[in-house]
Amino acid sequence: MNALRRVFAMALAVAFASGPALAADPLEAAQLAELDRVRTQVAGQVQLTAYDLLDELVLGWIQEPVFTTPTPVVLAGLTVPVGLGTGLQALLENHLGGLLTQNPGCNVQLSHCPSCTAVVVHSGPEGTVVSRGIDSPALLQELGSGGRKYALFVDVEAEGTWLVLRARMTELNPDLPIVWSRTLSHASSVPAMLRQPDDLKTVAEARQDYLAALESRGPLAVPVRIGVRAFAAPDGNTLFETDTFDTYDTTDTDTDTGLDTGGIGIAPPPFYWVQSGIELGMSDARAWISSFVLGYSVIPQAYQGLMGEVRFARLLTGNYRSLTRPDLYAFGGAAVMTVWGPATGSFTNNALNTDDILNQLEGDDPRAVFGTFQAGLDLRVGNRMGMSAFFEFLPSFRDSDNFGAYLSVFGLGIQSFGTEVTFWL
Amino acid sequence: MIEAIILWLGLLVFVSPKDPAPGLLHSKNEARNLECERLSVEEASRAHPGDVAPPGPRGDYYARSALVCTERLVRPGLRDARDEAILSTLDARSSELAAAADALRPELQGATWLVETYYPDPQVAAKIGFATKNALVFQGLRVSDRTPLLGAGDVQVITRMTPSDAYAAACRRYADNGSLGPDDVLLGVVSLDPRETALHAGLCQQGTWTWLR
Repeated sequence: MNALRRVFAMALAVAFASGPALAADPLEAAQLAELDRVRTQVAGQVQLTAYDLLDELVLGWIQEPVFTTPTPVVLAGLTVPVGLGTGLQALLENHLGGLLTQNPGCNVQLSHCPSCTAVVVHSGPEGTVVSRGIDSPALLQELGSGGRKYALFVDVEAEGTWLVLRARMTELNPDLPIVWSRTLSHASSVPAMLRQPDDLKTVAEARQDYLAALESRGPLAVPVRIGVRAFAAPDGNTLFETDTFDTYDTTDTDTDTGLDTGGIGIAPPPFYWVQSGIELGMSDARAWISSFVLGYSVIPQAYQGLMGEVRFARLLTGNYRSLTRPDLYAFGGAAVMTVWGPATGSFTNNALNTDDILNQLEGDDPRAVFGTFQAGLDLRVGNRMGMSAFFEFLPSFRDSDNFGAYLSVFGLGIQSFGTEVTFWL
Repeated sequence: MIEAIILWLGLLVFVSPKDPAPGLLHSKNEARNLECERLSVEEASRAHPGDVAPPGPRGDYYARSALVCTERLVRPGLRDARDEAILSTLDARSSELAAAADALRPELQGATWLVETYYPDPQVAAKIGFATKNALVFQGLRVSDRTPLLGAGDVQVITRMTPSDAYAAACRRYADNGSLGPDDVLLGVVSLDPRETALHAGLCQQGTWTWLR
C-alpha cells in the first residue's frame, strides 16, 4: 500500500513539475505555426521569381549551348534561400527537370545518379573518407570511366531586394574542374514573366509579345453593358429646399410637414438598361478610350426606354493598359434617353398629382425625352469584365419636384446614380 | 461642395504616388522592409515604363524625381542577423574577394583555384563558397570544385590551435599530404569572430598561408 502511495505521489509530482512545460507547448506550436505561415508567404513570392531565373538559365543554354552535343548532367545540388525550407527546393527541382525535358535544344540531359548525391564511405590505404559521392575521388573515377559526365550545382539566394541564382557545371573527374558558371539576378519589384516551359523567350521577345497582346484587339471593341440607374428622391433634398412645387400644385395644403404626398414629388423608379455599341481605343495602349452605345430598357406594364450614350475615358493606373492587374478608368460622357410607360410619369418638372395618375390609367401613357451628363469610375479586370459606378446630372429636371440630389458638385445637383457591369465581345 | 472635395480626394488616392514613409498607410515594420533609391526622371522612366512618365520634349514645367522603393524578399528577423548581413550582400562580398585575390597575386592566374569556407553555419558557408567560386570564374581564373582533405589526426591537432596558427598549419598539411599540388591555390574565406560580419580571406599556396584581408 505504501508503495502504491509513493507511486501516486510521484505521479502527482511529475504532473505538477511538467505543468510549465505543458503550458509552453501551445506557445511553441503557435510560434512554429507563425514561422510556417511566414515561410509560406515568402516562398509564394519567391517561387515565381525563382522559376523565372531557372527559365533564364535554360534559355541561356539554348542560345549559347555549353555542350555541342546532348550531354548527361547530374543535378548534384539545388539549394534555396536560407530559411525557406525544402518545399521550395522540391518545386524548383521539378521545374528545372521539366524545363530540361521540354527543351532538348539546350544539350543538357538530366541524368540520374543517386550515388553522386548520397553520402558514401570509402576506405583505402590512406584512411576512411565519409563524403558525398560527388566529393569522393574513387567514385568519380568510376563515373568518369563510362564517358564524360558533368554535375550541375544551382543555388538560389535572397540578397536584400534581389533573388540571385548561381549555377556552375563541374566535370566529374578527380580534378573536378568547373567548366561553366553563371550568376543571374532578379529584382523583387519586377513581376515574373511566367514563361511557357516549352516556349522560352527573352525579355525583349516577351515585351514584344506583351505589347502585341495589348494591341491585339485592335482599336475597336464591342462592349455589352448591363446597368441600373437610380434617381434621388426629393425628400431631404438640399438643393431644392425652396418650396417651388407650390407654384405648380394648388392642391398642396401642408407643405411645412411634407407629409402630403399630393404635394411632394415622386422620384422615378430605378431603370435597368442593356447597352451595346462600339468602343474605340484612341491610343495604342488604350490609355484614352471612347465609346458609343445604344441601350434598351423594359419592365412590362411599367416602362420602356431607348438611349444613346457617348463616353470618353482616361486610364488612371498608369499609361498602359495592363494584362495582369485591374485597370481603373475615369470617364465623362453624355446620354440622350427617351422613356415611356405608366411608371415614367415622374419625368416632368411638376410634382406628380392624382390627376396625372388618373390620366395614365385611362391609357394616356406619359413619354419623356431628356439628356444627361455623367462622370464616374470604371474598373476593368483583364479587359474582359468591368464594373463602373457613375453620377449623372439631368439638366432638364434641375428644378423638378420629382428629383432630389445625391450630392452637389460645383452647384450642380447629382440626381442619378448608376452602376454597370460590362463584358467585351 | 464638401462632397465634391471628398470625391476628388478619393480620386487622388489612385492618381497620386504612394509614399513609402511610415504613417497612416504603412507601419514602421513595412517601411523598414523597403530599400529605396532616388532616381532621375529619365532613369526611372527607362526602368519603370508606364509608371513614370518620361520628360516632355521641351522638359518639364517643374523639377521631378522618382523614389523607387523595393521590398526585401526576406522579412527582417526571419534569419539570423549575422547570416542576413552576409547573405544580403553576398554578391558584392564575393566579387570583392575574388577581385582582391586576383589583383594581389597576379602571378597565380595560371593556377587552379580551390575555395574553402570557414563559417559556423554550414548552409551559409556553402553559399559563400558557391558565390566565391562563381566570382573567381568570372575573373577568368581556372577553378576546381575539389575539396582539400585533412587526416583525422591533423584535424585533432589543428582544432586545438589558435586561429592565427591553425590556418597556417592546415595549409602546410594540405601541401604535405598532397591535397594541394604545386599548381593549386586554396582561397580560404574565413569568419574569425562571431561578433563581426566581415569575411576575411587568405591564400594557401605551396604550404604557405597568406592573409589577403
